[in-house]
Amino acid sequence: MMDDLIRIEHLTKIYERGEVLALNDVSFTVKRGEFLVLLGLSGSGKSTLLRCINRLIEPTAGTIVFDGIDVTRASSRQLRQIRRRMAMIFQQFNLVKRSTVLTNVLSGRLGYVSPAASAIHKFSKQDIDMAMADLDRVGIPEQAYKRADELSGGQQQRVGIARALMQQPDLLMADEPVSALDPATSHSVMQHLETMNREDGVTVIASLHFLSLARRYGTRILALKDGEIVFEGLPTEIDEAKFKEIYGEEAEEVEVR
Amino acid sequence: MKKPKKSKSARRYSLLDRLAVLRPRLSAFMLDWASWGYVVYGVMYLLNKYWYLRYVNFYGRLTLPAWGWPVVILATFELAMLSHAFGQSIGLNLFGLKLLGSEYAPPRMSQRLRRYVALHLKLFLQPLALFGDRPLGMLLHDGERAGCMFQVAKIKDDLPPEKPRKWYLTYRGLCVAGLLGLTFWLGWKITAINLQMLVDRVGKSGHIWHDLVTPSFTYLTESVNERGHLYSITYYMMETIFMAFFATVSGAIVAFPLSFLGARNIMGFNAVGWLIYTLMRTVFNALRSIESILMAVLFAVWVGFGNPFAGALALFFHTIAALGKLYSEQVEAVDPGPLEAIAATGARRWQVVIYGVIPQIIPSYLAFTLYRWDINIRMATVIALVGGGGIGTLLFYFKNEVGRLDDAWNQVGAVIVAIVIIVWILDYISARVREKIG
Repeated sequence: MMDDLIRIEHLTKIYERGEVLALNDVSFTVKRGEFLVLLGLSGSGKSTLLRCINRLIEPTAGTIVFDGIDVTRASSRQLRQIRRRMAMIFQQFNLVKRSTVLTNVLSGRLGYVSPAASAIHKFSKQDIDMAMADLDRVGIPEQAYKRADELSGGQQQRVGIARALMQQPDLLMADEPVSALDPATSHSVMQHLETMNREDGVTVIASLHFLSLARRYGTRILALKDGEIVFEGLPTEIDEAKFKEIYGEEAEEVEVR
Repeated sequence: MKKPKKSKSARRYSLLDRLAVLRPRLSAFMLDWASWGYVVYGVMYLLNKYWYLRYVNFYGRLTLPAWGWPVVILATFELAMLSHAFGQSIGLNLFGLKLLGSEYAPPRMSQRLRRYVALHLKLFLQPLALFGDRPLGMLLHDGERAGCMFQVAKIKDDLPPEKPRKWYLTYRGLCVAGLLGLTFWLGWKITAINLQMLVDRVGKSGHIWHDLVTPSFTYLTESVNERGHLYSITYYMMETIFMAFFATVSGAIVAFPLSFLGARNIMGFNAVGWLIYTLMRTVFNALRSIESILMAVLFAVWVGFGNPFAGALALFFHTIAALGKLYSEQVEAVDPGPLEAIAATGARRWQVVIYGVIPQIIPSYLAFTLYRWDINIRMATVIALVGGGGIGTLLFYFKNEVGRLDDAWNQVGAVIVAIVIIVWILDYISARVREKIG
């Protein structure tokens, strides 16, 4: 099907060291333009799933097809070309703390630029203009020449988003993007993701902890428990019973406004 | 992963898996054996010192009759097994292993006895377990009846909480105290420490102390002595500083690229990466274990006795090894998050190094390099002892003139003062710079 951006079939990941089955025969598809939210407890396999998609973690078995290309069989050269089309943002922002904000944003371009120029930190005028424009878009143009660790958490995550924007991606994967942020900042970050999704047509897969955020931003929800899919459907379909199934009997729903 | 789920599919364990389980157990036992060997040796040595036996010779070496060796070796084996089964041996503690009965209860006395007996057989039969097809953790004699061996890290959450006891009430505390005590006692005897002698012979070196603290700076800047080949303290001091400077800078330049080859996280986990990593680390360790003064012996013969080039070369090679190892460890300690993020953008591996690793390691690299410069300056002052050039040349020249020159010790004093001042100044500078970077 042409409107499937990602098709995942029988994806399994076993961590050899701890003999842990992190993903157990997971299959689903993501359509173009979707905002898919992954729900589940810590350790349910959300991060592993996201990292398998761009092969930061090598899956044990199964296939991942991205826009018609088999990611799991890609050579390292092909993989780089696939990776630059799928951006990723992280819970801990994963910025290079001692580098400037601008350098961090520009590093999102590394998949495109000529290797020799990048070795001496040389970027083209267009790339730098683009980086400034992206920083402007996430609302922190004045921070460009500061060191990344001088910024607040919310600002750092926005740098992460700007870095993702630099890739001009088809897919954005967000691994608990707001878990380290306060509620107000969370919404501002989520809104940036929403804009990317609605206006640039970037497909988004985001793992979230709060059901309220998932209901507010997601167009579809996928819930994992112990490495298996336990729910797949629209945000409105999650009721009390489903919630307890995903999070366990003792869970209470917490609102983030 | 909070809730690990065991894979239910029956896995066949490879020989490597079995070895991985066996290795800590074997290492733990070897460690126990070695530590009991040390205790036995120490006790025999001390027995000999206080109550004369025949088994330790004049040089403090164990000289047993032919039948004695097997007896001692077997005895240490027995002791290791006893401590394994009945106490908590040092080895098991260090390797994070614990002997427990069913349901993680402490093993009963009968289980301990069984294990003790089984251990005797196990030493010979254990290797067979490598080829059998039992699940891991069920190696020979490691069963319900003789107590099981667990890795503490894996069962930490299931263990009943234990109230921490005072260190002198625990087996581990007593072991450490006992070994430390034995070591101190042995050391005292073996190194012939004699405080009485220190007091009695205080007059012998009195005049030297007097001369050293009244240094004579005749040769501070004067460049030629009566024989026409002695240079000034200032001259040799410059030689020393630049010797150390050259060795540190060029050593750091060479060590920088090598350090990435010696870092596990950069080299990846494939066979080629592992080979290069192991090779690099071996070279670093081998080169580092040769003190620069020993290398200077070689280079002094090579490029000429007293030639500062010899000293610079020796320090250079030692610096590569020392910095290479320290640098590699820094590379291994970087935050993996940014590397992951940069790899995810489609960057090549070396781009990840340039954009993700290098910014993170620069401060510690600079700090280590300055620290190494510090060490090199101090090494450069004594490397002349074997003909490596530098200020030490002057120091040992004057020391050898004792008896011929009236003020030889005063001159030595002057050289020492110069060394102290320079080392102190450079130490201060490097400390300030490190503070600034950190």
